[in-house]
Amino acid sequence: MIRFFERYEAETSQFFDEVISKEGSPRSHYDKMLHRFSQFSVDDIKARREIVNIFFRNQGITFTVYGEEEGVERLFPFDLIPRVVPANEWQTIERGLTQRITALNAFLHDIYHGQKILKDKVIPAELILGSQHFRREFVGINPPLGIYIHVTGSDIIRDGEGNYLVLEDNLRTPSGVSYMLQNRQAMKRAFPVLFDKYKIRPIENYPQELLRTLQEIGPVSRREPNVVVLTPGIYNSAYFEHSFLARQMGVELTEGKDLVVNNNKVYTRTTRGLEQVDVVYRRVDDAYLDPLVFRPDSKLGVAGIVNAYRKGNVTLANAIGCGVADDKVIYSFVPEIIKYYLGEDPILQNVPTWLASNPADLKYILANLDSLVVKAANESGGYGMLIGPESTVEQQENFAEMIVANPRNYIAQPTISLSRHPSFFNDTELFGCHIDLRPYVLYGKTVTIVPGGLTRVALKRGSLVVNSSQGGGSKDTWVVDE
Amino acid sequence: MLSRVAESLFWMSRYFERAENTARFLDVNFNLLLDLNKITHIENPSYWVALILVTSDKERFNSLYDEYSARTVTDYLVFNKSNPNSITSCVGLARENARSIIESISSEMWEQVNNLYHYLQSVTPQFVHNDPYGFYKEIKNASHLFQGITDNTFSHNEGWDFIQIAKYLERTDNIARLIDVKYHMLLSEAQSQPELVAGSEDIIQWMAVLKSCSALEAFRKVYLSKIDPDNILRFLILDRTFPRSINFSVCAAEDALWRISGSSRHRYVNNADRLIGKLEAELSYTAIEDIFATGLHNYLADLEQRLVKVGEQVHLTYFAYHTPEIESSDIEEALPFTGIAGGRANWSQAQQHQQQQ
Repeated sequence: MIRFFERYEAETSQFFDEVISKEGSPRSHYDKMLHRFSQFSVDDIKARREIVNIFFRNQGITFTVYGEEEGVERLFPFDLIPRVVPANEWQTIERGLTQRITALNAFLHDIYHGQKILKDKVIPAELILGSQHFRREFVGINPPLGIYIHVTGSDIIRDGEGNYLVLEDNLRTPSGVSYMLQNRQAMKRAFPVLFDKYKIRPIENYPQELLRTLQEIGPVSRREPNVVVLTPGIYNSAYFEHSFLARQMGVELTEGKDLVVNNNKVYTRTTRGLEQVDVVYRRVDDAYLDPLVFRPDSKLGVAGIVNAYRKGNVTLANAIGCGVADDKVIYSFVPEIIKYYLGEDPILQNVPTWLASNPADLKYILANLDSLVVKAANESGGYGMLIGPESTVEQQENFAEMIVANPRNYIAQPTISLSRHPSFFNDTELFGCHIDLRPYVLYGKTVTIVPGGLTRVALKRGSLVVNSSQGGGSKDTWVVDE
Repeated sequence: MLSRVAESLFWMSRYFERAENTARFLDVNFNLLLDLNKITHIENPSYWVALILVTSDKERFNSLYDEYSARTVTDYLVFNKSNPNSITSCVGLARENARSIIESISSEMWEQVNNLYHYLQSVTPQFVHNDPYGFYKEIKNASHLFQGITDNTFSHNEGWDFIQIAKYLERTDNIARLIDVKYHMLLSEAQSQPELVAGSEDIIQWMAVLKSCSALEAFRKVYLSKIDPDNILRFLILDRTFPRSINFSVCAAEDALWRISGSSRHRYVNNADRLIGKLEAELSYTAIEDIFATGLHNYLADLEQRLVKVGEQVHLTYFAYHTPEIESSDIEEALPFTGIAGGRANWSQAQQHQQQQ
């Protein structure tokens, strides 16, 4: 353990370090990696960095940052040190997520049918009925197989003791899976020897699994379902991913204007006329999906697609109205949801959460703004968020006003000390950077989770925000059999 | 194939070809002026105004510049972003179209468009001024490389045919314009300065026309005798084997259109096929004397009109099926070459920025 890891100082008193234990010794599943990295010089690392950069650039793997002039395209920052997840830990995550997603799907089905959970007063009805993502008009609609959330990407973090906790459920249009796949490709090129030393479970079959899931949820009694991906367009930050997935699955990438609805059926406009579509993997928000039903000014949507969906002529993945279950307020009820529908204790715990809509919690939140993380219930991507310890008094006062004005829209959580993982800042030194994990869950006839996920890393020193839109990067994630 | 994808392939190809043709005009004009430095100088406006006439852009040009000179015309045709036909604009639009169908084209094609785009971003007017030959060569080669990459990495099916249609329609149009303008210029000079027409300067100018189509050597092989305007026109308009002649290009566009629809010589499937077939048949049975009888300018103007009609029919047949009405203000500035807006409107850009989880 010379050079890089020798100089690495893990702050194990405050945080859970993925590589170094509290006693100061490396965890056994990192042994081989530490050994391999001890053979590298700074120049070796720089050479590998170059391989990775060329790979990403050639693949056109960029994302767009909003708010800057004309949406600048940037390379997604990538950290060369992979994260290793031992098989037994992965098993917990896999079982926990399967349980959680199954329960959340049962919850959505209930909310859009009998609403038993509300009648039994497990969740206050006003929280659901008042949610901006609750779609009253879809009560009673039966999506194929009763599945609402076909593709999800839960955010998982580890607390100071190393327990895996679910931070967010992301049930609408989770992104990042293309980075998971490309990170793996990049690592294979840059570190073939290290790769060979571990028994790493493959993730390359994700696009096939996704396609299989999408085909399984097609309208019943039809030929081989015709699947398309629906993107907002080339100016969307995740456009690369939309086109990547379409290409990998071998299906058409469509924009709203490529689709047309006739007689409650959805068709693509092709050079040979109209072709019927059965399943739309849509990466467009509900609000923009259909100008006849949602925002009338939407130019990205398909007029009439919602009626086609209601008639059962097309399946939308994910279903309309899933947002009601990934609202950050509803999040705090997920343990109860799991118990209610499955009669089980949650395998993965939540992060403790205070609801501003609850008067006692509100008082606590306002008194502790400097230490809590406050989140808007319906924002994502790290927007609309206050990180207490890093905020100014002015920002705190600002948030206090917004919270009081609209308590239903805010929750607070303790600043969880996300676990840390040694990462390269430049290519000469390692620092402990905060990370999370986003595995991707597919739900068709069965629940499928490819072993791995996107490990996002806060590459700003000390920063806790891992979102790509806020300067975060990612690293490859290896689920290994011992 | 999705109509949108076909349309983007079409415009990607068309803009790329347009950028190459503009580079050719400029390159040859520089060379011509150097050849003629005995009788004129490099800033002679009458040689530069011709390039603006080729693109039918006089009004826009005059609103931006005070004079026709090497500097202003080069700036307008190479760099100016408010000129939708400048090399920079064309390559930008070709790239934008390619980007929107990045999953449909080969990654090598994308890399090539992208490379040229980034090269142009790095070029300054001073650089072009110092080495016009090197710069235009770079653009022409980039276009040839793109075509070669396309031929060798992209399946020769419907999508490839749309690329061919666009390329050859654009090329035909450009050759017609080039001949029209040059002929017009030379004729008016012949009237005002008869001594020039008899001299070697005249030959040099006609050679320049050939050169801008990379046609001088090919022409020499066919017409060993003297370079005279009749033979040059016969070659550039009617030759069936030279890839930058009008007849060849029309045939190539026809082949591609017929492959898509299954039309054949005695049976057409749609109006695009009918119009291109008619044009091709007429060209096949036209002699240069027929063209002179009509009047060269009239003949070429009619040809250009008919190309526009073919383009419109391609649009209606393959791209515009079930297209919702788009407000006219939403469409990017109409392109003078065809009247059909290419590229992609930016009107939905803001909405596309919706956050992904």
